[in-house]
Amino acid sequence: MNEKLGDVLINNIEISVNSATCYKNNNIIFKGINILVKNREVLLITGPNGCGKTTLIQSICGVQNLESGYISLNQANIKHQECNYLDNILYIGHKNGLNDDLTVLENLKYLCVFDSSTDSRDTKKIRRSMKYFNISKYESYTVSQLSEGNKRRVALARLFLTKKKIWLLDEPLNNLDGDTTKALIKLFADHQDNQGLIILSSHSDLSKELNDVKYFKMENQSD
Amino acid sequence: MIKAIVKTELAIYFRNLNSIFLPLIFFFLILSVFPLILGTDKILLGKVMPGMIWVTVILTTLLSSNNFFRDDYKNGVIETYLTADTSIELVLFFRIIACWLFTCLPVIVFIPVISLLFEISFQNSVIILLTLILGTPILISIGIFGSALTLGLAKNNILTPVIIIPFYIPVLIFSASAIEAVSIGLPYTSQISILLSLLVLVLPIMPYLLKYTLELSINN
Repeated sequence: MNEKLGDVLINNIEISVNSATCYKNNNIIFKGINILVKNREVLLITGPNGCGKTTLIQSICGVQNLESGYISLNQANIKHQECNYLDNILYIGHKNGLNDDLTVLENLKYLCVFDSSTDSRDTKKIRRSMKYFNISKYESYTVSQLSEGNKRRVALARLFLTKKKIWLLDEPLNNLDGDTTKALIKLFADHQDNQGLIILSSHSDLSKELNDVKYFKMENQSD
Repeated sequence: MIKAIVKTELAIYFRNLNSIFLPLIFFFLILSVFPLILGTDKILLGKVMPGMIWVTVILTTLLSSNNFFRDDYKNGVIETYLTADTSIELVLFFRIIACWLFTCLPVIVFIPVISLLFEISFQNSVIILLTLILGTPILISIGIFGSALTLGLAKNNILTPVIIIPFYIPVLIFSASAIEAVSIGLPYTSQISILLSLLVLVLPIMPYLLKYTLELSINN
């Protein structure tokens, strides 16, 4: 896979997890996991607390190293340089990745620095994203003043801004109210129409709201 | 992009004026302890104060860089760094510079005042100033490196200084030897140029080292 993936990724994305095994502090987190997701699909990772959903998503985004097995994007190992994997993914973790001392607007501008598909000078679009998630009135509040749900909304506003095709979200629906959940699911559906791919972990069933939902159920490892 | 990074770093520090003034107050408090312990013998103080100023600066840099990444780790900013497709090294470089600007520079600015207070000779105070300007960026970078190294561990308050103080030694040796050389009237250019070369070596490498260390810390 030496061709530039940026061109390929318009219509054809395929992420596969190949017999992935992960240990943390000598405890087994998961073993022999195989998953295949394509564009327009949503992979919903479910399972009880502590079964390794977060670790699996972190492995898929390349932050967590695997004991054995590998993750690939269009058959190219994501750890290889020529894969340009990071150019194509947006990861929003369990922790929101916001700076407590900055205001909502400053935070979103700063987060644009980490995503080359967005522009931190495009204040108009950032304001639109805040409006979409109904946080416009908190624009000049520092994040430490916000409630957990509102912090989550600020983090999710990045989804509105980015043009990346692969979204990796760790429990995005946590702390959200009904209206925001609906807005988020609409954003997911639009992303699917845009040939995007979403991998998320959640405890709620999204199959009614979204098409092409693939399930991956994780179990607690007993050893 | 650089503009956005610099603006954000400035905003963070100016919103927490504590983080600028507290190191400075700490520096003055520790310095004021020495005459209390050693007595007010001017000759003795004149001899030991250059060294004491350096020791105090080390304590200040240790405290201000100790928990450099703690909030970022808690808030998940480190994961954002590691999944970013833009140059994180640049962000880390500016963060080191900002940390130096707001914790060490205020201390350095007050060195002339302190020299007057303790009647340190003009020559000595110039060399202290010079070694501090060249040395503190290295100390801060190493301190931040230590903070990245101990990120995933709980209760790492003392561990970080224990790890990084040995790495301070080269800087200390050459600074102390420059100060010594000035006070007995020898040339000191070689020590200063070694400090300068250490600085030029450490600063560009550190962002890459930090990124790698953060990857390791997340992975434990």
